[in-house]
Amino acid sequence: MKSAAPEGVPSTGHRPVELTRQDEGSLLDLLQDLEQRHGFVPRDISEEITRVVEVKLERLRRIQSKLESTTRRDVQQHAERWRNEEGNLIMVLHAIQNQYGYVPREVAMELSRELGVKLARIYEVITFYHYFKLQPPGAHNITVCNGTACYLKGSTELLNETRTQLGIAEGQTTTDRQFHFEVVRCIGCCGMAPAMVVDGKTCGHVKSSDIAGYIATIKAQKGATK
Amino acid sequence: MKLTRQDLEAIAAQPDVDPPEWIRVQLDTGGIAAGAESAFSALANARNERHLSFSLLRAGSIGYSFADPVVEVQSAGMPRVHYGQVSPEVAEAILDQHVVGRKLLDDHVIATRARSLEIGAPVTHVLVCDTGEGAGSKTEFFQFSFNEELKRRGLSDRVQVARALDIGIYDEGAVVQLLPSAVTYANVLAPDVARIVAESIENGRVLDDLLWKTPDKQVRVALRHCGNVDPGRIDDYIRRVGGYQGLRRALFDLTPEQVIAEMKTSALRGRGGAGFPTWMKWQLTRAQPAPQRYVICNGDEGDPGAFMDRSVLESDPHAVLEGMLIAGYAMGASKGYFYIRAEYPKAVERIERAIQEAREHGLLGEQILGSDFSFEAKIRLGAGAFVCGEETALIASIEGRRGSPSPRPPYPSVRGLWGMPTAINNVETLACVSAILEKGGERFSSFGTATSKGTKVFAVTGKVRNAQLVEVPMGTTLREIIYDICGGVLDERDIKAVQTGGPSGGVIPVQHLDTPVSYETLQQLGSIMGSGGMLVMDKTDSMVEVAKFYLKFCVDESCGKCAPCRIGGYQLLQILDRISRGRGSAEDLVQIKRICLAMQRASLCGLGQTASNPVLSTLRYFGEEYQAFIEGGPSYARKMSRAAAGGAGAAAAPPRAAAAPAAQPSSGGAEL
Repeated sequence: MKSAAPEGVPSTGHRPVELTRQDEGSLLDLLQDLEQRHGFVPRDISEEITRVVEVKLERLRRIQSKLESTTRRDVQQHAERWRNEEGNLIMVLHAIQNQYGYVPREVAMELSRELGVKLARIYEVITFYHYFKLQPPGAHNITVCNGTACYLKGSTELLNETRTQLGIAEGQTTTDRQFHFEVVRCIGCCGMAPAMVVDGKTCGHVKSSDIAGYIATIKAQKGATK
Repeated sequence: MKLTRQDLEAIAAQPDVDPPEWIRVQLDTGGIAAGAESAFSALANARNERHLSFSLLRAGSIGYSFADPVVEVQSAGMPRVHYGQVSPEVAEAILDQHVVGRKLLDDHVIATRARSLEIGAPVTHVLVCDTGEGAGSKTEFFQFSFNEELKRRGLSDRVQVARALDIGIYDEGAVVQLLPSAVTYANVLAPDVARIVAESIENGRVLDDLLWKTPDKQVRVALRHCGNVDPGRIDDYIRRVGGYQGLRRALFDLTPEQVIAEMKTSALRGRGGAGFPTWMKWQLTRAQPAPQRYVICNGDEGDPGAFMDRSVLESDPHAVLEGMLIAGYAMGASKGYFYIRAEYPKAVERIERAIQEAREHGLLGEQILGSDFSFEAKIRLGAGAFVCGEETALIASIEGRRGSPSPRPPYPSVRGLWGMPTAINNVETLACVSAILEKGGERFSSFGTATSKGTKVFAVTGKVRNAQLVEVPMGTTLREIIYDICGGVLDERDIKAVQTGGPSGGVIPVQHLDTPVSYETLQQLGSIMGSGGMLVMDKTDSMVEVAKFYLKFCVDESCGKCAPCRIGGYQLLQILDRISRGRGSAEDLVQIKRICLAMQRASLCGLGQTASNPVLSTLRYFGEEYQAFIEGGPSYARKMSRAAAGGAGAAAAPPRAAAAPAAQPSSGGAEL
């Protein structure tokens, strides 16, 4: 499509159908091409481009407002469920985090409006507790337990190995947002120390040599679903 | 269906009994993580395929974490046994061999701890396990010898010999248990086999010289139903194990004052660690005039390495709920909150279900069981802050604020949740309360020492052979807990110290292992009872690193409200870090003690006051390790961190070849 574009636009006049199908990159190429050929961009073409861009912007706006209204509806639902309870903020935040995997900024703002609580207070609570997150989690979560029992049985090695395998430190997400790596205090499975949680599945008696296998399994599954 | 007093009385007179044949699968977080759910579905499928009629039941965990997943089997003509490490394949084998074939499976049986001294019934099965040196190398030999001897006497079709996974006695040579009576012989030698077969198996006579007479050291009060009751079915709790009878007794036979008096008789002290008498807490709350009072169940088990509360909440939620109802009745409270860590989703789910079922059965809400007492219970989730185990911080968290502690007094029993009198009880305390009201306070106080009565649950983990939950009477020694109940140290190494009380506790060195456990004795040793985490450390663990690990935890978890904790903890960590890199000086040790003292005296809440305990106690008992780091300098520190990395690797995976890629980051990781 991209290669066909320059020939598709004759120097005299234009075909709107072609234009609407361009992505931004090829639009720019096209404009450059036209400018080289004519020394200027013909007015009718530039007007057509403006029109198309506005249509696109309008569509984006619509999607945006639709998103906002779903956010609003979700927040309203959560707030409604806990409205008459005293001290409901933490429970609402739990509900939100369960839904989104983290607490998005716009949701926190909406919640502030809905509950009549200052945004600063909401952020005070979110940042105080380890459990609440402000960043979206990765598609796959790898959690290493660093409770005392796990520590004694070699969780330090597991942490190092996971760091090496994923190339990120704890609390971070890989750049492709595929893996999120977290350290927790204790998952209460001290009988199977050292323990890890890989995508919600607890693995006990983990050896550092197992970690590469876990990651490979996840990657393989992803390949299969593609 | 709402229950009334009469219903409960009728049930007490005629409780349900188990169906004749059943298999209970222990589905708690630990068991599920080890694969209990696949074992459950394997059993369900195999049962349908083979058209068997036994009941497949769910239960919580009995506490044998080392053997997860665990199932318990009762089958006609067979002794009731626990099987451990039940993979789906083993589950099918249990059906084929145990249920259908009437034979015990080798290598998976966990022998009963309820050992008998008399052979009450003809022996049908024999369990053998070699517990001496060489970890079970002679087990097969003994199995063979028994089989040969039985064959010689023509008994081999009547008696089966099986190898046990765990027989509950350790370092006592070959151990033999005769089922179904559970007469147990220890230190059995090869020539004894013929005697056992001739005397005990053929003629039912007990051989007194071999008999293991020491009774089991555990007494289960808080854990009384764990592993035996379905946490998701209130009927199982009410109709089969006598649940809510303690509540019935409190509501109809006793006044609130009498309930508190009963608690006084039991001398139960708070199981969360501080050991404040529970009856006094209730009385103080009750004495406070107020329109509304609250009961809070503290299930914010933030202690890394402890899982007692999780296990009780998951395995026996109704016992805790019943305890809360009784507490509410005794102090005139009509609202209760369960504050549970969000990291324990299974516990939250089961308490939620317990509350819902209790409401449906008229055990929550208005006019409970037809009395004048009304009570509502709700759940609040923690969000991963260790300081929220502190009662004022916990209250702040329930109110939906950040969990900063506030100065006491006023104590929560005067001004707590939303300014109202509030009693905060630990999960285990409430589980004991329902038992005390059911069985009476005197029975409870018959266990324990003069000042610490009753029993205490410990989660024994770390470098211990059988990591598990144990419940022992107060006054049991650490050595008994670690060696007699949990089988000693992993890989038969030497024990160095035991850590109790988590980040607020201290280490107890090997020379004090014979100390009887109680609130006072542990405090004298520089540690605390805490909620009951007990970590065993062997010779390879560096105490400086352990102190640093706990201190780092407390520094991370400090809420930052008061300066001694926020600044003192950080400075302490800097000094420890310097020492562990071999760059410390002799003055550092003096400085450590000064900072620790300041933190203990001046911190606002328990977290800061106790954060220095791990440092002080390691310094007290293992001062020479600190000295070695200071005198040895950086080269010594590097050597130690290499040794630690190697030691940990060897402990985690003995057969693994030297892991080249892991070695390098490990030395860096030690500075974590």
